[in-house]
Amino acid sequence: MSKIMEWIDARLPVTELIKSQATEYPTPKNLNYWWNFGSLALMVLIIMIATGLFLAMHYKPDALLAFNSVEHIMRDVNYGWLLRYMHANGATFFFIAVYIHILRGMYYGSYRAPREILWWIGIVIFFMLMGTAFMGYVLPWGQMSYWGAAVITNLMSAIPVVGEDLVTWIWGGFSVADPTLNRFFVLHFLLPLLVVGVVVVHLWALHAVHSNNPTGIDVHEGKDTLPFHPYFTIKDLYGMGVFLIIYCYFVFFAPNAFIEADNYIPADPMKTPAHIVPEWYFLPFYAILRSIDFLGAFSKLAGVIAMVASIAILFILPFLDRSPVRSFRYRPLSKQLFWLFVANAIVLGWVGYNPPDASLFHGAIPLILIGRISTAIYFSYFVLLWLITALNIEKPRPVPKSL
Amino acid sequence: MRLIKTIMAVCFAAGIVPTALHASSGVPVPPAQKWSQEGIFGTLDKAAAKRGAQVAVEVCMACHSIGLVKFDQLRQLGFTEAEVKSLAEVQGRTKADRMNGALDAVSAKDSFGVVPPDLSLITKARKGYEDYTYAILNGYLNESEMELVNKVMADGNISDQEALELQSALLMDTHDKGHVKAILERLIGGASFNKYFPGNFLAMPQPLNNGQVSYTDGTENSLKQLSHDVVTFLSWAAEPTVAERKSLGFWVLGYLFILTVLLYAVKRRIWASAH
Repeated sequence: MSKIMEWIDARLPVTELIKSQATEYPTPKNLNYWWNFGSLALMVLIIMIATGLFLAMHYKPDALLAFNSVEHIMRDVNYGWLLRYMHANGATFFFIAVYIHILRGMYYGSYRAPREILWWIGIVIFFMLMGTAFMGYVLPWGQMSYWGAAVITNLMSAIPVVGEDLVTWIWGGFSVADPTLNRFFVLHFLLPLLVVGVVVVHLWALHAVHSNNPTGIDVHEGKDTLPFHPYFTIKDLYGMGVFLIIYCYFVFFAPNAFIEADNYIPADPMKTPAHIVPEWYFLPFYAILRSIDFLGAFSKLAGVIAMVASIAILFILPFLDRSPVRSFRYRPLSKQLFWLFVANAIVLGWVGYNPPDASLFHGAIPLILIGRISTAIYFSYFVLLWLITALNIEKPRPVPKSL
Repeated sequence: MRLIKTIMAVCFAAGIVPTALHASSGVPVPPAQKWSQEGIFGTLDKAAAKRGAQVAVEVCMACHSIGLVKFDQLRQLGFTEAEVKSLAEVQGRTKADRMNGALDAVSAKDSFGVVPPDLSLITKARKGYEDYTYAILNGYLNESEMELVNKVMADGNISDQEALELQSALLMDTHDKGHVKAILERLIGGASFNKYFPGNFLAMPQPLNNGQVSYTDGTENSLKQLSHDVVTFLSWAAEPTVAERKSLGFWVLGYLFILTVLLYAVKRRIWASAH
């Protein structure tokens, strides 16, 4: 065996790569459980690709056949119901893992130098996931699939000059129809494979600069680190066990908890559902989109810009944060802002879930007003974080010299 | 930090508000019924589903199809092959056929103005699920409620007292009397009114009545019983693999639970040497 490995290593240094990048890869010894969510996201990505591959063998991307082919998978394919429920709920758990992963990076300053490129690649992955999830939701060709696709693709028409033509080009016709479904299926199949590629670059960037840690300080290799194996392989495996228990509870006992009832009605272009809601993981951004409604003819375009900007602003986060300290653990003001940001994102999600004309306390507080305020709070996080750090308003607490 | 925690608490509480928001949207929430298949440990009441299949074939399928199910699959509910054959014959079909109704789309559109929806997924496709379908079947006005409507409309004038009575009988907001009057006129004119249908008027006249189907097993055939049985059947038809899913789920979760406990123990042991 060792003779064979020697032969291979002389030609392709596999052992050296596994040692330096996996088993002996130095990892800060103080990582807490929030650091599990990167590997959890990778696990869900693998589950999604594996189940998706087998679903694609039975699914028919045809406007007349798609809905019933999903029911064929649910009823006639051996364990088809398991594949479909794992895949549908996998999307939800993918976003749970990714949102916690992103928020962990924001809290512990993982986006700060020298990890900017690592952070940017992560945002690119996030955009790709959103696109993939959106197109995947269209494939069952239920009412919410159809009308969700119609509403979201229609947003492109807000782009000046080329908007209308762009929408027609995306649809492959003059409405969401068979050609749209067909291309969304192809792209939904292709994008995750590209995500795998970008994830590899994400890991490459990670291994170039190494993991941040809860203190945010630079670690000394050896004194502050442990080899990845067995310390973090076992910790990641334990985390996967806990995560899988929660995930499997939903797959087996509440598989429709995140699926809108309307999506079990076949798509009907002649009949708009009373209330079109996107999947839960898009709700905060959907709320931001709808909150910009006071600019007359420009509202739609401004809403789209605000929605895209709400994620794209993460790109400049490394430059907005000027604090000498990375981790919010030692930054009292930033910490408060962070939790306000998280709470506000939940409010935005709730606003996005409800009809735009709803109100609280019998019309006393229109929901749209809450949406506008929450949108303002969302963006003010980035402005305030810059202000309190650039103007030295925040006085960080002392940071440990080593772990 | 305390302020932030308070804000967080309020936000999580706000997560509960959506229910309250929806309740005030005008359509009454279908009352919750007891379904044996509900919950993690729930199992399908096969006897009820079997009776419900009879109701579905003899009544619902006069107009609706249940096209995602084949007659032969009814054997899973305990029907013999001969019984399945005779059920299929009610609709002029064989046991290998899909459970499509007798009414074709064109004549349905002629008679009712709409094509009756396929019922295969009906208990999954409406908010309220089984409770909603049950509420629709029981949401038509009974004799005493009809009497009230006739009494109110006898003088063509709705008094405040009558408005209150109508509110509790029809489960609708009766503050706008002009609007209520228009609805009652349409109702008396013969349109199908249902308390739980969004918008109240639907193309389907009351489909099920007391005593409409005779059961062979001696179960009473009240409207409540018939509708409970047929909804139980439709719940099975919407996802015949539920029982398989739940039983596999226990094995999977049990396995994962033991595995995770072991992984945790190993993790503790490995990390003991780290500090």
